[in-house]
Amino acid sequence: MKMKSKNMKLNRLIILAIAGLTSAFPAFADEGVATNSTEAAEIQALKQEIQALGQKVQALEQQHNAEQQAAPNTSNEQIQALDQKVRVLERLRENDQDAAATVAKAQPKISLGASGFSFSSADSNFVGTLHGLVQVDTRTFRHNDNVQGNDGILLRRARPIFSGTVYHDFDFQFTPEFGNGTPGAASAATTPSIYDAYVNYRYSPALQFQAGKFKPPVGLEYLQSDSSMFFNERSLATDLIPGRDLGFELHGDIDGGVLSYAAGVFNGVGDGQRNTSNTAFQDNREFDGRLFVQPFKTSKTVALQNLGVGVGGSWGASSITNTLGLPNSTGGSSTSSGFYTDGQQQFFVYSPASGVGGVMASGTHWRLSPQGYYYYGPFGLLGEYVISDQGVKNSATLKTANLRNSAWEISGGWVLTGEDATFSGVTPRHPFDPRNGGWGALQVVGRFAELNVDKAAFPAFANLATSASEAQAWSAGLNWYLNKNIRVNASFSRTTFTGGGGAGATAPAAVTQHPEDVFFTRVQLSF
Amino acid sequence: MKNFLKILLATTLAISASAKEIKLLNVSYDPTRELYVQYNDAFAKYWKVKTGDDVTINQSHGGSGKQAQSVINGLEADVVTLALAYDIDAISQQAKLLPADWQKRLPNNSTPYTSTIVFLVRKGNPKGIKDWDDVVKPGVSVVVPNPKTSGGARWAYLAAYAYALETYGHDDAKAKDFIAKLYKNVPVLDSGARGSTITFVDHQIGDVLLAWENEAHLALKEYGADKFEIVTPPLSILAEPPVAVVDKNAKRHGTTDVATAYLSYLYSDEGQEIAAQNFYRPRNQAVADKYAANFTQLKLVTVDQEFGGWAKAQQTHFADGGVFDQIFQPQN
Repeated sequence: MKMKSKNMKLNRLIILAIAGLTSAFPAFADEGVATNSTEAAEIQALKQEIQALGQKVQALEQQHNAEQQAAPNTSNEQIQALDQKVRVLERLRENDQDAAATVAKAQPKISLGASGFSFSSADSNFVGTLHGLVQVDTRTFRHNDNVQGNDGILLRRARPIFSGTVYHDFDFQFTPEFGNGTPGAASAATTPSIYDAYVNYRYSPALQFQAGKFKPPVGLEYLQSDSSMFFNERSLATDLIPGRDLGFELHGDIDGGVLSYAAGVFNGVGDGQRNTSNTAFQDNREFDGRLFVQPFKTSKTVALQNLGVGVGGSWGASSITNTLGLPNSTGGSSTSSGFYTDGQQQFFVYSPASGVGGVMASGTHWRLSPQGYYYYGPFGLLGEYVISDQGVKNSATLKTANLRNSAWEISGGWVLTGEDATFSGVTPRHPFDPRNGGWGALQVVGRFAELNVDKAAFPAFANLATSASEAQAWSAGLNWYLNKNIRVNASFSRTTFTGGGGAGATAPAAVTQHPEDVFFTRVQLSF
Repeated sequence: MKNFLKILLATTLAISASAKEIKLLNVSYDPTRELYVQYNDAFAKYWKVKTGDDVTINQSHGGSGKQAQSVINGLEADVVTLALAYDIDAISQQAKLLPADWQKRLPNNSTPYTSTIVFLVRKGNPKGIKDWDDVVKPGVSVVVPNPKTSGGARWAYLAAYAYALETYGHDDAKAKDFIAKLYKNVPVLDSGARGSTITFVDHQIGDVLLAWENEAHLALKEYGADKFEIVTPPLSILAEPPVAVVDKNAKRHGTTDVATAYLSYLYSDEGQEIAAQNFYRPRNQAVADKYAANFTQLKLVTVDQEFGGWAKAQQTHFADGGVFDQIFQPQN
């Protein structure tokens, strides 16, 4: 601004000087008339020169003014250009950030949380997940004078579970067992062993095909996860259900699980048994299947959304006469096949095959199991009825029969802290964190179960003096879910018997001499 | 046991009587958000009346090419409503999720509405942009998305190229030079049409946005006619955004019937009305006449006429090493 005012002053001085000169020279010229013509010409030339200078000054002044006026426009344009550049750079930066986020989405994902450790490709077509289940139990029997070793602390289950997906549609699971896998069995005889090893092709939720070793689709209680059961042990009803077996299965959930179906062909196992050898023991196969409907699962009637009813069943015919098709042979001091209590003790055995009058499976074996559950809010209820019709043969008398054993159970629970009870367990609203007032979730549970052995089993196939023909069990317990992964529970079960109770220091006689009163505890880690 | 069977029968009957909740995923391109929000609502009502079932349609939006690639990579779309047929062809060819002749399954080559490319300029049109010649002038800043990822950008590119071919007597070298000049004026290449609208409208970058006609109208509607103007060039391209059921996904989800009905309903009077209200040019002549005031008449060339179809156009211009790669030099 100072420069500008200086220039203005200089211009004015020049103009004033020129004006002074032009006004002075005419007077001087008039006097010149008296002198000579040469001087007059010089004066004229000077006048012209002064006029030209004046014009130049005016032109310069105009130019200067024009430049002064143009200067602000140029500045505005420059500012606008700079503003656009800044905006473009900002936008490019945003786009780069978006692109970086997109690239990040394309990276493999790793996550660790309450649902286990998982890693997957960016498109989730390949997924691997590591889960685990550890259950540390105690069993304390009231009448244990005749049965040694049934009280104690045991590692009921210890399973690292590796599951996942390859090529988007192929799921797999591998579950080894390092705990005391088979109820009542000596650990050394049963561990480690493979519990689940299968591949599942998922064309759609409604159409899937599974092959390998897994739970056959028959019993509801058995199909529930080991970590989600109301009690430490499954009920007497599961004594008549086939355990894990090798086979192929077509299964699916239609309409988001409104209707679930499964049908498969398996090697076949005895009641309450699982396949421990990972091979078949005979040439014929067993057919298992199950239909389960949850009619209101996708409806808006919340109170009925988790109501499910169904029926499972199996049919098989053994190609040979054998003991492997009979029920579980564990839970007693002998290897005889039979049924076991909540405390995992045998209360019924078929006459030993190795002895005189030994019993073997022979002919057909079918099962039928109507079943259902209902969960609403903190309330949960599960029930199941099972008929197992087993062809048997006494190897000494050659007498044969089809024994129709039956069992049923109903169990229920109420989450005192208000969380929802579900078929897959309870998730505490406030995980255990006493420093911040979190105490987890508490659930009270109860159960009644009964198993009836066909009366025709006695005396041709079993000894009523040592084996019970009927067992009834009631249980009550308290489950404390510290968080989604840790659960602590305690329960009491009483099983009463009809029949049995004869002399003897081993199961089943020793077991059936008194009602079985057993107190359970468990600390469970599952993720 | 009899009682049990009765309960089972009653339950089974109850299933068939109960209303179902169905979910569909519509994977679409960038500027169709508003169209499908309105259309989904109308279709859900229609379907409820017709079948008693509740249908919820989830939407996914992005650059058309990117969206197609997502479906190829496993995004479980029941239907795709993309910017151009080539992108659905890619899903068919690379992922085999629908048959090669998918375009024959619905009328008008499965394109229930059309659109074109217009200019959105700032109020008063300070750079005096009237035709394609104006957008290639030095000093004109042009905003348009990346034709490698955006369907709308490919339509815009081809519209400009078609203009150059018509202007320079189908001299390909001159047309290439013209398109090079145009992209020299582009400071930011967004990945999708909506991104470019944000660049132009929110970030106030550029003098002109080469936009879908519906997107330009939407900007005008949302931001006000006192801020922007639409300039329709005398010549542009007939953009035909197609729709298709992704057969394998729909079959797997058990949604084939509802997905097919969802797309067919776009051709209904109500579907066409909704398209027109969202500034897509309807196929139904009666609806087109009703909304004629919304759509300026102009000369529209087609990809088939000018470029020999999408497959050829893609290969020549947008494939790696194609004309776009040859002429485009990022400014920053």
